[in-house]
Amino acid sequence: MNISDGERVQKVLEDMGYLHTDNPESANLIGVIACSVRQKGIDKVYNMVNIWNKWKNKRNLITFVSGCVLPSDKEKFLKLFDMVFTMSQLPELPEMINHYGIVTPAGLMGNENMQIEQEFTDNPMQLGGFRLNETQISSSLPLAEKKPEDIKEFWNIEPKYGSNIEAYIPIQNGCDKFCTFCAVPYTRGREVSRPSEEIMNEVRTLVEKGTKSITILGQNVNSYGYDKKGSEITFTQLLEKIGEYGNQSNKEFWVYFTSPHPRDMSDDVIETVAKYKCLAKQIHLPVQSGDDKLLIKMNRNHSMLKYREIVSTIRRLIPEATLFTDIIVGFTGETEKEFENTMKIMEEFKYNMAYIAQYSPRPGATSSRWDDDVPKDIKKERFHRLTKELTKYSQMHNNDVIGKTLRVLVRGKDRKEGYLSALTEGRIVTRFASKDITLIGDFVDIKITSAASLSVEGVLLKN
Amino acid sequence: MQTTGLHKLIELINLTESTYILRIEKKDMQFEAGQHILLGKADDNDQREYSIYSGTNDEYLEVLIKEVVDGSVSIHLKNLNPGDLLKVEGPLGFFGLSKDKIESGKFLFIASGTGIAPFHSMVKSNPNLNYKILHGIRTCNEDYGKEDYNSDRYIRCTSRENGCDFEGRVTDYIRQNDFDNDTICYFCGNFKMIKEAMDLLENKGIPGSQLHAEVYF
Repeated sequence: MNISDGERVQKVLEDMGYLHTDNPESANLIGVIACSVRQKGIDKVYNMVNIWNKWKNKRNLITFVSGCVLPSDKEKFLKLFDMVFTMSQLPELPEMINHYGIVTPAGLMGNENMQIEQEFTDNPMQLGGFRLNETQISSSLPLAEKKPEDIKEFWNIEPKYGSNIEAYIPIQNGCDKFCTFCAVPYTRGREVSRPSEEIMNEVRTLVEKGTKSITILGQNVNSYGYDKKGSEITFTQLLEKIGEYGNQSNKEFWVYFTSPHPRDMSDDVIETVAKYKCLAKQIHLPVQSGDDKLLIKMNRNHSMLKYREIVSTIRRLIPEATLFTDIIVGFTGETEKEFENTMKIMEEFKYNMAYIAQYSPRPGATSSRWDDDVPKDIKKERFHRLTKELTKYSQMHNNDVIGKTLRVLVRGKDRKEGYLSALTEGRIVTRFASKDITLIGDFVDIKITSAASLSVEGVLLKN
Repeated sequence: MQTTGLHKLIELINLTESTYILRIEKKDMQFEAGQHILLGKADDNDQREYSIYSGTNDEYLEVLIKEVVDGSVSIHLKNLNPGDLLKVEGPLGFFGLSKDKIESGKFLFIASGTGIAPFHSMVKSNPNLNYKILHGIRTCNEDYGKEDYNSDRYIRCTSRENGCDFEGRVTDYIRQNDFDNDTICYFCGNFKMIKEAMDLLENKGIPGSQLHAEVYF
């Protein structure tokens, strides 16, 4: 989601004549698209802005922060950043910058060409700028007056895609689920669905431009349309539209979605993925815990029984699909028995990939008001045990494809010299020997020759 | 349909030294019994989730609030006066009765403290509901909304005072009593109580699919 937000911010700034730079020390405009899912990411923002503020004595520099920002962080950020704004205010960014003025000692000495610095981290964050004092902010920026539906102005901004091969399309903003470990409902507000016609236009534009992999994004993609109470199509219908377009376009591309919420996952969605060629056979279905009681404490609003039914339907209708998940270990109060139930589902569901996180309380999330009572060393130990269990099954899956021919999308050079890196339709990392960089961005067939736990290797077949 | 807006406080009703009801304008908010709202002072960024305490047909919205020591919302809300504005967002959440079971189902509601709120709303919204409430409280005066329940359907389980209906925790009551296996059970309150009560009822033969819970915090 943050990458997608950042692509739109970048477009607005580049339209204003800003140039992107990879070197923070030469940037005149630095900003962050923050992610409040984990405290670690926000801590990093505080560290970075303190460094940038020191640079302001030496050169003209503007900083901003946007994205997922909690009210409590916003108060602090207003004192540290020149600008704090919500994504729905992005269309007003040029106006904000025009109000900027001379603000730093270096700025009084004259302006250089403005440049943008873009920051990416493991919790993706990006971009930013401008200097307004707090009085100016409160008088010129009606932050509190923005309503959730104003996000549509943001969606109308054509993004500056970070890749010609892969792109992300937001279809929804906000969240209504209130998982107790997550602060997103308090930072992004309620679920608002983007008009389906806009989504389809963006899909068509990207495919026409040659984009090969599109991921449609939302906090809970499969509750898409619910907020419109019948005046918008459902998520299944959106997938059908994309699938029909895929059939008619005569173009080869893969469309993914992330993340669906198990509570809203219907058989229709799975049937639709099975039906259309362009809908990639990979399902990312966050489970978070394998223990029913802990799921209640996480306020996930589904049981393991429901989750099992979904996985069973996926296996029945799309047996070739890879299954990914998200899991939190060491959630507040997690007992050994509850963790064991999560260990058991690794065997039961045999995931191809799991993004496992050690729990850390996020201020603003409900669970931050509870004791973080699982010791760090226990969290770490559970993380390693679960990862070991995951790799047992991912290795098994990867061994199963040795000798098979797979279609892959070439994404770039591999770290190993003389190899290219690619992803299978099921998003398994793959590499093969080739120095032909003209293949980057193409689909090719490779025969798998060896497997590691989280990747496979193959040889390029003649197309 | 979810709405976000400013609602006037109609009345603040103190129930105990630390527990109170906020009765506020309903405006055009429609909700399902069991849902909650996000609530905060109009001029404050902080909001908290509170289950709706009033019935779906009441002309006002009510929430039942326990003051949290060192909290950043409940203490401030208690200082409001009638006519003051509150920021209200909702309705939210998925905790509620299955529509197809309301007429025929046999319900057991198990609450601790102010976790009674969603069940109060369910009972007020459905006058013919076949229910029984086990309310875990410390002392008898915490029997919020007792007058709205049929006396033979409401059991106060008190942990620090004798002389109410049952002396002990709700989990003690469950241990000592039998329940029909077709009972549909709803839990709301602190997680420890929910976890223990669920285990006990499952051991008594009530299927997991008939157990529904919302953690209160």
